[in-house]
Amino acid sequence: MSTNVAPRMIELVHVERSFRRADGTDVKAVNDVSFVIPEGEFVCLVGPSGCGKSTLLQMLAGLLEPSDGDIVVGNKPVTGPGPDRGVVFQKDSVFPWMRVIDNVEYGLKCRGVPAAERREIAWTYLKHVGLSHVERAWPRELSGGMLKRVAIATVFANGGRVLMLDEPFGALDYVTRHQLQDVLLNLWNADGAGTRRTVIFVTHDVDEALSLADRIMVFRSGNKVDDIAVKVSRPRTTDSLLLPEMVEIKRKLLHHLGLDHAAGLDAVADEAVA
Amino acid sequence: MTTVTATVKAAPRRVRPLRLFAYGLAAALDPLRLAGLVVFALIWEGLSSVLSTIILPPPQNVVARLWTDFLDAPSLSYYGVANPNLYANLLYTAENVVIAVAIGAAIGIVAGLVSARFSLVRAIINPVMMTAGTVPILIAAPFLLIWFGVGRLSAVCLVIFYVTVILYLFAQRAASNVSPIYEEFARTLGASQRQIVVDLLIPATVPEILGGLRIALAGAWGLEAVSELLGSQEGMGKVLEVLAGATDSEGIMASLLLLGLVAIIVDAIAGWAVKRLASWNAGLSSERN
Repeated sequence: MSTNVAPRMIELVHVERSFRRADGTDVKAVNDVSFVIPEGEFVCLVGPSGCGKSTLLQMLAGLLEPSDGDIVVGNKPVTGPGPDRGVVFQKDSVFPWMRVIDNVEYGLKCRGVPAAERREIAWTYLKHVGLSHVERAWPRELSGGMLKRVAIATVFANGGRVLMLDEPFGALDYVTRHQLQDVLLNLWNADGAGTRRTVIFVTHDVDEALSLADRIMVFRSGNKVDDIAVKVSRPRTTDSLLLPEMVEIKRKLLHHLGLDHAAGLDAVADEAVA
Repeated sequence: MTTVTATVKAAPRRVRPLRLFAYGLAAALDPLRLAGLVVFALIWEGLSSVLSTIILPPPQNVVARLWTDFLDAPSLSYYGVANPNLYANLLYTAENVVIAVAIGAAIGIVAGLVSARFSLVRAIINPVMMTAGTVPILIAAPFLLIWFGVGRLSAVCLVIFYVTVILYLFAQRAASNVSPIYEEFARTLGASQRQIVVDLLIPATVPEILGGLRIALAGAWGLEAVSELLGSQEGMGKVLEVLAGATDSEGIMASLLLLGLVAIIVDAIAGWAVKRLASWNAGLSSERN
């Protein structure tokens, strides 16, 4: 593995974030989280809802300030949102008042990239996600899966070296979700080894994490409770999920999610606890 | 199953403005609406044959009167109206409406958008606008006459006040309704504050603001005419006032018919502009385009 050679892209040091409830008490959404992610790694953050994984992503994106600790991305401390860190949100964020192609090139336009050049880049990524035939359509004319493709194309076209996706495919149907996972992996791979972007992908779908990630971090009640490397080679198929090492990781994940009984894996759970 | 559905046509579908206008016209000439108008005219005709012409003049007389008075109505000069025809007075009223709507809309929209974005500004402006919104504006008319006399200014001020309040409320609501996700997305893409206002806030609020403008425009016509009625030397309101003094029912109805026709045409143009400027919005554009 090249993870030891790759420069560190993201570094979190004792990051905390608390929220004040309406009744005045403080809740810790993220509690003393530290980790380092090398450049080019595909990391999945997994955990039950309310475990702090989305809060963590918001802080990395610069949309939320940590209560304590430091976040450094590409050797620069995060002080606010920026085009170096692209975000695909769970909710639809494609601007309804811009045509598809204008959406994809919007970030480039903001930074003053000449019209012809940015159109070329936008067109390339639109083609990559399979939407070149609707470049002039209005977003309201597209399906939910197509809107997600537009958002992914927009973020890739914008050129950020770090991509963050917050449960991007959670609201989609089974088939669409799998198609979009492929779209995402293909785009990520297209850059080629050594120049791949760093991806942080928040999900609560264990199988999704297993088929996408180089590394899975598990969160529970604001704490990072596990950090698992997934060394199974790519491209991964549905059969890859049946490999013994995958099954082993899946057991661990299900245990962290408190699903041992549902899966009938009591024995494994005991072993893991020990 | 393919995710890329065939419902979206590949070709750029630019809707020609003229075609859209033709659709609007076709909708206005809807057979049912026409039938409604015909029934109304028939009832009017029937009633006027029973009642005296002072109470209810027959429709054809009113139309004929409108036709002749439009360019030349000598009786008006007899009552002291500066321009003895409907055309010049209509123009005077229309000018005032346009000036007042332009100024009122500019103030109201800017104030509404700013107050939606800055809570400090909102805290200051909101109580004033909310109070102003609940006062029946017409009772301010006599007061404005004291301040500005019977000239153009007092009527225009009244209408500006009305349009400002309406558009403030519409612009503020429109801006508050824009989902924060768009701004967050734009910021992560690298948009500056200025770009967020120009590329997000303004286009996102256009449909609702134009809807408010359409309502304000309709109200502005009526308010302008009424305030001319209360005190003015010119305008459709003044014409109505002198004709009422002379119990000229036919003349009054001809003037009202003219005001109504103009209001319908203006509203049709405003509706067409809404469709044209907010074609991205499914809620407002017609299903045909």
